[in-house]
Amino acid sequence: MKTTERIEQLIASYLNGELSQEERTELMNWVRTDPSNKALFYDIKDIWDSARPASVDVNQQLIHFYKTQAQKKKKRVLPVWTNVAAAVAILLIGLFAAQFIPFFQTENRSMVESFQVPMGSHSQVVLADGTRVNLNSNSSLRLDPDFSTTNRKVSLEGEAYFEVKSDKSNPFEVRTHKFNIVVTGTKFNVNSHREDRDIGATLAEGRIQLEARNMKTIVLKPGQKITFNQQTMKAVLSEADVASDIAWVEGELNFRDIPFPDLIRRLERWYDVKLEYDGPDFDSMTYTGHFKNQETIWQVLDALKLTTSIDYTKVNLREFKLYLKSNSM
Amino acid sequence: MPNFDQLFRKYHHQLFLYARKFVADESVALDITQDVFAQVWEKEKLSLPDEHLKAYLFHSVRNHCLNHLKHERVIRRHQQFQQDELSKLEIQYYESGEKSLIQKESLERIYETVNSLSEVNREIIELSRFEGLKNKEIAERLGIPIRTVETRIFRALKELRQKLSQKFIRILLNLCRLKDKV
Repeated sequence: MKTTERIEQLIASYLNGELSQEERTELMNWVRTDPSNKALFYDIKDIWDSARPASVDVNQQLIHFYKTQAQKKKKRVLPVWTNVAAAVAILLIGLFAAQFIPFFQTENRSMVESFQVPMGSHSQVVLADGTRVNLNSNSSLRLDPDFSTTNRKVSLEGEAYFEVKSDKSNPFEVRTHKFNIVVTGTKFNVNSHREDRDIGATLAEGRIQLEARNMKTIVLKPGQKITFNQQTMKAVLSEADVASDIAWVEGELNFRDIPFPDLIRRLERWYDVKLEYDGPDFDSMTYTGHFKNQETIWQVLDALKLTTSIDYTKVNLREFKLYLKSNSM
Repeated sequence: MPNFDQLFRKYHHQLFLYARKFVADESVALDITQDVFAQVWEKEKLSLPDEHLKAYLFHSVRNHCLNHLKHERVIRRHQQFQQDELSKLEIQYYESGEKSLIQKESLERIYETVNSLSEVNREIIELSRFEGLKNKEIAERLGIPIRTVETRIFRALKELRQKLSQKFIRILLNLCRLKDKV
């Protein structure tokens, strides 16, 4: 009897008090002596462990969870970077090899020809001619199989910002599905996402020539932008807000009078989410706004909710539905 | 197939309390719970049948706790040897197929049963588990010797166990009766 009471007290102070080193050893030995002791001990401890409140806020934990996942996602840009770096290294090695062993030239060409950036990421690549290209989410850049310092042709799907290495005798050419741009040395942004209503180019520095089917060549001056409506292919030349058009390069989102459907697609690509909305109410809207260092799509949607008549609900994993707040209808 | 939010809300507290069985530090237990959900999220285990998913979650928590204990041991050497030993034995105990009340019962039912305890026992559980007082503090609060507090805690836990298993049996009986009627 006495030992039972002793053990009970030992267990209770193990659970909710202090045990000296000797008492701890005594309890250990008792637990190990017999499987039924072990069962009793862990059974009692289990009840003790169960009968307590879980004093944390599950909503807060859920938000914390999504934040952590979003940050992990950002870090995943890294592998893209390393791929690109590796690809550039291979290209450079390829070019060196081509110079040193001329008869391998044909085999060595076309080793590396494309860079792809998935949804939710953006990345930078330095081409063999020294041109820097920032690729936006869900975009890809394909180099001409014979790309070199004297043959500078690339094709773009999606959006990219170019800082072209100056070389007057060897023009740099960017092809998209709707227009081509020829430059010698400039900084400019090209958006050619097939799903966007408006596509076009914005010139930051230098001079670019733009050619589109059934149109005479357009020359852009610094600070100008050209916008095509993809359905009509009507082109509009206007003064650009250059900083806002290339803000994404610095990881910011800056919109000026962007058609609402294009805003949605940009956010979808940038955050790798799906945003549904219905109704002609949205189609005719334009949006102006600036998102700086936004960590998550939640923060952006909250900002939209606060500053516009738009509200949202989460419908699924990385899927949201936008609607107009009822009082504004 | 449940959506992720529902799953998170349904199991978060249970998994958190389960982790706290094996690791004393609350923030570590919270981190472990988050990590386990991240596994579900990344591996898209959401499509598993509910019972499998639940077993997987609890098993994952145990694994994470075990890893944490091993890690701790490396850091702190043998300072807390026995403490670790009891916790590791405990993990093995559950690894062998034993299920914790936390896994078997809903937390609501456990709290309900606490409320149905006899006055003395309910008081001691409330002071220790819900107000978080240590045995010494309870002894002071109630003006009784610490040994008495310990004995009462043990008895209260036994009563709780008995009531919970009775409830469990009653549920089984009801199920059998229902079956008979059908």
